[in-house]
Amino acid sequence: MDTAANSPVRVVVLGGGTAGWMTAAGIARMLPGLAKVQLVESEDIGIVGVGEATLPHIRSFVEKLGIDEAAFMKATHATFKLGIDFRDFGRIGESYIHPFGSFGEELKGVGFHHYWLELQRQGLARPLGDYSLAVTAALANRFRPPAQDDTLGSTYGYAYQFDATLFGPFMREFGTSIGVERHEGLVTSVERDSESGDVTALCLNDGRRIEGDLFIDCSGFRSLLLGQELGAGWEDWTHWLPCDRAAAMPCAHATDDIRPYTTATAMPAGWRWQIPLQHRMGNGYVFSSAHLSEDEACETIRASAEGKPLADPRILRFRPGRRTQSWSHNVIGVGLASGFLEPLESTSIYLAQMAITYLIELFPIGGGIDSRDRDEFNRLVDMEYDRVRDFLILHYNATTRDDSDFWNHVRTMKVPDSLADKLELWRRAGRIEKYSDGLFYDASWIAVYVGQGLLPERYDPRPALADPQNLSRAAEQLHAAIAQEVAAMPQHREFLNQEAARIAQAA
Amino acid sequence: MTEPREPLRRIVIVGGGQVGVLAAIAMRRALPLCEVIVVGQMPSPASFADWSPGALPMTNKLHDRLGIGEQDIVRRAGGSHRLVTRYTGWGEGGQDGVLSFGESLDPALKTAFAREWGGGQRHTAGPRSAGSIAEVLADAERFAPPPQDQPTPISNVDFALRWNPIAYRALLIEHAQALKVQYVEGEIDAVEPGEVNTFSAVRITGQGRIEGDLFIDCSGPAASLLASHPKFAMTDWSATLPTRQIFLSRPGSPVISLADRFSVVGAGWMSEVYGRDGMQRMLGVGANTDRNTALAALGAPAAALVSLAPGRVAAPWLGNVVAIGDAAARFEPLGPYHLDLAHRQLALLLEMLPGREIEPLERAEYNRRSVLMMEGLHEVLAMHFAAAGAKRVFGDLPLPNSLEQVLDQFIRRGRIPFREESPLAPQEQFALLVALGFAPGSPPASRAGGGGSQEAARADFAARAEHALQFAPPYEQWLASALQAQRIN
Repeated sequence: MDTAANSPVRVVVLGGGTAGWMTAAGIARMLPGLAKVQLVESEDIGIVGVGEATLPHIRSFVEKLGIDEAAFMKATHATFKLGIDFRDFGRIGESYIHPFGSFGEELKGVGFHHYWLELQRQGLARPLGDYSLAVTAALANRFRPPAQDDTLGSTYGYAYQFDATLFGPFMREFGTSIGVERHEGLVTSVERDSESGDVTALCLNDGRRIEGDLFIDCSGFRSLLLGQELGAGWEDWTHWLPCDRAAAMPCAHATDDIRPYTTATAMPAGWRWQIPLQHRMGNGYVFSSAHLSEDEACETIRASAEGKPLADPRILRFRPGRRTQSWSHNVIGVGLASGFLEPLESTSIYLAQMAITYLIELFPIGGGIDSRDRDEFNRLVDMEYDRVRDFLILHYNATTRDDSDFWNHVRTMKVPDSLADKLELWRRAGRIEKYSDGLFYDASWIAVYVGQGLLPERYDPRPALADPQNLSRAAEQLHAAIAQEVAAMPQHREFLNQEAARIAQAA
Repeated sequence: MTEPREPLRRIVIVGGGQVGVLAAIAMRRALPLCEVIVVGQMPSPASFADWSPGALPMTNKLHDRLGIGEQDIVRRAGGSHRLVTRYTGWGEGGQDGVLSFGESLDPALKTAFAREWGGGQRHTAGPRSAGSIAEVLADAERFAPPPQDQPTPISNVDFALRWNPIAYRALLIEHAQALKVQYVEGEIDAVEPGEVNTFSAVRITGQGRIEGDLFIDCSGPAASLLASHPKFAMTDWSATLPTRQIFLSRPGSPVISLADRFSVVGAGWMSEVYGRDGMQRMLGVGANTDRNTALAALGAPAAALVSLAPGRVAAPWLGNVVAIGDAAARFEPLGPYHLDLAHRQLALLLEMLPGREIEPLERAEYNRRSVLMMEGLHEVLAMHFAAAGAKRVFGDLPLPNSLEQVLDQFIRRGRIPFREESPLAPQEQFALLVALGFAPGSPPASRAGGGGSQEAARADFAARAEHALQFAPPYEQWLASALQAQRIN
């Protein structure tokens, strides 16, 4: 890459899926004048469209782009999401919600879960979720946006569940409206600088050459530039996360209610998702092809659908892992081209968004790519992927299920050392390894540990020193306050209708 | 079966300075049935945390939790408030700068302000504009602690407390006595080993032995307890931190001010900490500075001279011994970082308070975070000596850890990479680097234009500054009335 310091960096995004249009729109909006963004896509290549369910971080992305939440939700048929309901993971018949929010409150510097374990020992504890506003609201199918103060009503967050096949086009429309130049075409060859090895242009099937300084590979699993052209290495995580296929089949809603949460149900060879949108229910089976054939998976998803199927099951193939370098030469992989983690915790769009945010922060300035910025980007991206990876592995490993080869494998496999230490620290002392960077914090780890029946052998000594009656009374008061707060919330569908009416009126 | 851990029955704290006494209060409050014994003496002036005339804002939260009242510190321990630190002579050509606490700068203004402050000559184009509301208040010497229960124009201004260390320690001892903390004055002449790399008791000269489940080493740089552990090791910082001797002045005349000052002078660096009981000066010099030169530079009668071999313990928690504060790390007092470190390590110990049986992995996790705290501090201190003015005095030094990357990111992009457990938030590191004369680069997003938001942010800042000045009384006046109220009551 070699441009004068003052002329805009020519950014070429390859791929018009969710990651591609998020990247193009993000750069065009955040770096006007600094970057000139072009995007190459082909109608002949379908998009994977994963990531129907999102994490709360998506809200800040949408907001930063200056997109109106209501318009965005309308266009993508979005619903609100308070967390994920995990069923049958720790043991068949058990379930828990991993909420966007906390459980109880720290007391005298001791985490609430230690007090909960003490109440549990005394037979005075409710289920952990009863002390979480997000969980209680989710189970009651109620929703309203959190309060903007320090009260109980502010102790949760929310995300969206939307139609991923509509999100890409929405971002495309937005991206082109703010100056992203779109090229329809298939890449037939890639030109590179003979000395530096940098990519200099993409040649399309109609003979056009798209020159650029910086290339963003959003070509999905094919990883056309980063993987195929530059040969960036791949760290494979199949031995920890054996699921490598999904059978997806949208259905009609089976009931009038719309759940403000995603459901993940463990299956003999993986797990099944249900993502409620305004107009339909996303539905699919993520499975390990070593343990189940594609036909069997399609059959299973047909048989288990609650609403009327709206299409035939579609098979998606993937492999878990990430590139050893997400930024190599002048090519940056975003989305599936850089790595893949199954959508068990709805992290796909987050991981793309995270890479875009770091790229904007570390965007080339002053006429060239500095290897120090590239190293910093790769350090940050690797850390994010690895931390999410450990958290996903936990969902499989923390189980008592022995009803299939799949579960026998994940229950007994050797987990990464970084996770083994976290697990042991929890088992022995009920403590969570602490970090502020990365995605999942204490409350998330506790939700999964407790939800999947992995209780520590020992916990903090202090809760046992408190007066049991006071402890129990305080916990009951908290639960009552949560119940009262939730009772005042509208039903999720009702709230969506109100919002739709409000938008219609404003328009 | 899930059970609570068997609680500690007796905690022995070695070191009776303000660190050890506060640790005792914290332990008694956490474990009301556990005996807490403070053993030893007031550490020497070489224990900077124990003689620190103040702390950072984090300590206010710890005090709240432990029932130590801010009002009591003001009324009975010579307490006063500090909003900013002024830095003089660290950059080029008489450059000066100011560091305030917390996320004080509007992000939209950060780069613009930094450009005006950074690297420029003082007063070449009129007075530079203030970078934070705290600085506006400090310049006007106006402030009063904002009421907790209502929003005010100065509620977002973060502050630290200063005090008289002897009076503050006496105040803490009252709290400790009320909580039935025991005290044994004396010298440790031996430690008795227990099972697998633990200690079972300490022997006090002429007073027999004291058993304990957990030992907290607050003895200052001697680390008298931890150093006798068979696995004790040090990590040397002398290649990256140059100060070898610190000359401490006798307290000068009292000065009421909302700011302290750190300067580079010909012989080394100088700190001036103001307060109601007299301004204290410290001069830090390298290995080769002549004593008379140093005394002349100090400009006040010297009260003590401390020699420094900078470094930290490799692992602050070994067996059942935890070292905090100066017992864990030795470095130059370029701010109240010694006491801040001690208090953050104490808060970490409170968070991870073990049972009688200590788990190896919790020790490892504590050590991981405690070492991150110390190495984060190491980087922040080394930032000072990477500044142009300091280099002229102390020479070029290698940069520790990832400081080279931090400076590179800051200088090229105005970016501070996030680090876990750093003593300063990224925004504070940004402000410190600017105050030390480093000019930040512009982040890509701010190069991309959009000047409108900057104008709006500027106007908003000016309005907030005006409101803050109208609301806050002259600090000296507030202080007088606070002390007056005490005499009437």
